[in-house]
Amino acid sequence: MKIKKITLIFSDLLLISWVAFAPAGMCQDINEKIKSLEDMLKAQQETIQKQQEIIKQLQEELDQIKKQAAEIPAKPEEKPSYTSGGLFGAASAYNPNISLILDTFGYSSSLKKDELEKWNIPSFISEGIDHKEGMNIHAAELYLFAPVDPFFNLYATIPVKQEGVELEEAYLITTNLPAGLQAKIGKFKSGFGRLNSQHSHVWNFVDQPLIYRAFVGHEGINEKGIQLTWLPQLPIYTQFGVEALQGENEILFGSDASSGLHAFSAFIKSSIDVGDYGTLLFGPSVIAGKTRTDSIAEDHIFSGDSTLIGFEFTYKWKPSRWKSFTLQSEYMYRHQKGKLQDTTTQAIQNLTRSQDGIYLQSIYQTGRWGFGTRYDLLEPFKDQYKLDGANISFGNKPWRASAMVEFNPSEFSKIRFQYNYDKSARDGRTNNEWFIQFIGGVGAHAAHTF
Amino acid sequence: MKKNFLKIFLAGIFLTMFSSNLFAKINVVATLPWIADLAKQIGKDHVSITTLVKTSQDPHYVEAKPSLIIAARKADILMYNGLDLEIGYLPVIIESSKNPNIQPGKSGNFDCSQFVTPIEKLSSVDRSMGDIHPRGNPHYHFSPANVLKVAQGMTEILVKIDPANEAYYRKNYQAFYSKWQEKIKKWKSANLAGKKFVAYHTLFSYLAKEFNFQIVGCIEAKPGIPPSSGDIQKIIDTINKTKPAAILANVYSPKKPVDFVAEKTGLKVILVPHDVGSLPGTDDWFSFMDKVISLLSEA
Repeated sequence: MKIKKITLIFSDLLLISWVAFAPAGMCQDINEKIKSLEDMLKAQQETIQKQQEIIKQLQEELDQIKKQAAEIPAKPEEKPSYTSGGLFGAASAYNPNISLILDTFGYSSSLKKDELEKWNIPSFISEGIDHKEGMNIHAAELYLFAPVDPFFNLYATIPVKQEGVELEEAYLITTNLPAGLQAKIGKFKSGFGRLNSQHSHVWNFVDQPLIYRAFVGHEGINEKGIQLTWLPQLPIYTQFGVEALQGENEILFGSDASSGLHAFSAFIKSSIDVGDYGTLLFGPSVIAGKTRTDSIAEDHIFSGDSTLIGFEFTYKWKPSRWKSFTLQSEYMYRHQKGKLQDTTTQAIQNLTRSQDGIYLQSIYQTGRWGFGTRYDLLEPFKDQYKLDGANISFGNKPWRASAMVEFNPSEFSKIRFQYNYDKSARDGRTNNEWFIQFIGGVGAHAAHTF
Repeated sequence: MKKNFLKIFLAGIFLTMFSSNLFAKINVVATLPWIADLAKQIGKDHVSITTLVKTSQDPHYVEAKPSLIIAARKADILMYNGLDLEIGYLPVIIESSKNPNIQPGKSGNFDCSQFVTPIEKLSSVDRSMGDIHPRGNPHYHFSPANVLKVAQGMTEILVKIDPANEAYYRKNYQAFYSKWQEKIKKWKSANLAGKKFVAYHTLFSYLAKEFNFQIVGCIEAKPGIPPSSGDIQKIIDTINKTKPAAILANVYSPKKPVDFVAEKTGLKVILVPHDVGSLPGTDDWFSFMDKVISLLSEA
């Protein structure tokens, strides 16, 4: 900039000296020339002025930036948070996110201990209820999650129970597949149905609906295998999923049913928003596979094929953080065909079971309080239990009604009371159950699914 | 016949998969309204913007609804507030969207807080203090200095994604910057220095710092937890001692405790917009700030 200015001044000087010493005869010609030169000079001066303005503007901007820079306090030297240093000194920065959730409840029943242990659902499952009168620890569940690399995330759920440590879930999930595809590999809760993939601490009741207990057991379909889901780019949320599973669920399949993967599932989940605050989620699921189980009746082993079909429906209305209403229902239909063997007499009979079940629950939340009701019914439409071609009747349809009240002191804790009026034993007896549940979570803030 | 049907079906799938590439506009998905507005001011006609959080919603507590997941599915870039504000839902949305563009570490995963100098950072925390944000106060959109830096960062990322329109984005940023310079003079001349207020939530810390006024306390003593009667008594005592000008509430803060404190202390309640579009006359970030400054200076 400076050099330009100097050159300009220099050229002006030259011009002036030339005009001053010009011969007189050239006057007229010169006058014209002077005029044009004057014009040129003017133009140059304008240019200079413009340039000076630009310089001024830039100077102002520079001052502004300097001022801004001065406003930002110099960062204090960051001290390394580890003390040991050395080769693996910063490794703690790579620790996965960890959280621990304690789920514990007090339980009381109108039945005696031995009655409770035999509180099965005839024609469905032979297993009784394993809650103990008094305090129970459902689990202290340890969650670990972190990205593995730019291609996978890793999740593990390790419940520590009174009976010991379990590997409930441990899976890799892809993050980089194209076209809306995603794979889950490892041990995970199947995408079948609505509640199946939810962890117990996000359930709306202390226990699972009867259809879960009757068709897949209270732990749900939680299997080793591979899941592939696809979310196409549609205006409406629609997710498609298929799974190939080991088939170790002790109620529906059984690890001895076949070697290798022997349970396969498929599901579709669609969702639309209704109005500003409402959301609908619905879709069918199916899972089928080879079965070998001793859960149908005592001292009997069943082997054959099973198909479970489900349909889920959820409507949630949530105008604010402090208010919501949820209506949720799932229907399941199970068809099973195979041989039932008496393990004492070794007698074998053909068994065909076609049974269904449904639950309907509603939750109303206001402020930190939640209120819920649930109705369970088995065999609403289908109650076939055919032994060697003859249909057997087991009596009244199993049903149960539940009510709960919960208080959430914060986002991380919950106290819940629940009452069950349980008529699932089909013989007219009633199991009155009372629960008081406490849930508290510490550690990393895991995000919640819908 | 069957073959034709298959062809059309496959073409349909192909189109749905790659439809984003057919249109030149950049698909921006922004979590909060103010982020969407900034992206609109810089990207204008070359971006198509979807906002996940509604203006009436508390941005701390949003559900990862499937409609939000499908919105994120088509994003070329996801712009979010960061500083753990969206931690309760955004990780699920990102992973469930099955969209590789917006996964952490990708250029389509744009954390606006990376340009921000956070205040109220806490080195030692536990949740007995409530749902606090250890990485700093996340409500920096009340801070003109920080928002300008975010706008600058946004310009750079749009240029990186869509270099063909570099001049366009830079021109829009220049226009934003000129307006910002003009507005900041106006805002700074508003008489806020030395004023005192009580707030429901720690929304206004950045504003207070930059405009030299004071938030003497919050009704919600522990973030995310409704105040206990003890907390309320404490804030009433504070008010009586410090004599602030007003109580600052917002559309999603609970009415009951705010009205109770107002009644007990005789203080008036000012409904301050918490984000762009949350109150009438706050259609973009500038008018939002205009409204905030004028409400506070008139108090």
